[in-house]
Amino acid sequence: MKKLGVGLVVLALCGTFIRLGFWQLDRAADLKELQKPYVEQPVVPLTDIAQPSANLSDQAINRIVTMSGRYVLQLDAPGQKDKNGKVETWLVGVLEVDGGGAILVVRSNKSAELPKGDVEIEGRLLVRQFEDRSAKSESNLSRLDPSLLVGMYDLPIFDGYVVAMREKVDGAELVLPRVKVDPARPSVPGYYWQHISYVVIWWLMALVVVFLPFYGRKRRSEIKGAA
Amino acid sequence: MNGVIKRYRVMAYAAGVMSLLLWFVELPVVYLLDNPDLASQVKWIPFVHGYVYAFYVLAAIHFTARARFTIKRMILFILAGTLPVASFIAERKVMREFPLA
Repeated sequence: MKKLGVGLVVLALCGTFIRLGFWQLDRAADLKELQKPYVEQPVVPLTDIAQPSANLSDQAINRIVTMSGRYVLQLDAPGQKDKNGKVETWLVGVLEVDGGGAILVVRSNKSAELPKGDVEIEGRLLVRQFEDRSAKSESNLSRLDPSLLVGMYDLPIFDGYVVAMREKVDGAELVLPRVKVDPARPSVPGYYWQHISYVVIWWLMALVVVFLPFYGRKRRSEIKGAA
Repeated sequence: MNGVIKRYRVMAYAAGVMSLLLWFVELPVVYLLDNPDLASQVKWIPFVHGYVYAFYVLAAIHFTARARFTIKRMILFILAGTLPVASFIAERKVMREFPLA
């Protein structure tokens, strides 16, 4: 009965350590995957991959989208970092999209008037921000998060935000300095060889767990033999 | 036995130093300071610590098995490599119990 108990404990510990090793191996593989360059997908209309009042799907994030509509509101988003880490205030418009719903559009890192008329936009769709970049106030967006528009705007809102790369107003290209951002990538903490070292340790621990009962038995028999 | 003890002592010192670096240099730099440059300079610490600990475990098992320690003591010696000063304490105990010939 005692042997069975020891066997079960060894099995459970061994299984746990092996599983932890595989978990670290997966993280190492994820890190390697993230080091590969991002492959750009074809440009699509926003409404083909996203709907108002619905969470963005994984497939929609980072896609370059096109949309048309009219701006209804413009706000500042201070404390935003571009791809070079430069902290600046971004100019953010709320675009009422043809076909329904509204979306946040990062227009520029310089002040500009809100265009009147029909606007066509091409830009990168990114996942909403979860942490404040600046203090909350009525004229500023503390983060790029559509939920902050609740109370300012009544129509359904698209999840995420678009960083505009190109804007056309009534068919004419609008020349503005644009914000440069990298595609959003999930982050995995740590480094590749660090995770591999943890794989080695967890699997070594699994071997140690298997070894210990044999060691205990050998030690007991040696003590008996000596007695 | 002397060779086994020497190997254990070397690995105990190495694991202790790497644990100190991990706990008091790498972790504060990465999680308390917002300095990516400094963080990139200390990124070697966690994975060197990982491999050193693996060798420490092997050295600890070899030594404790040769010294006929109990399983409980063997486990404590293995775990000593995970805390910053525990491996130094374990090494001192070894030297008291097994002075080198």
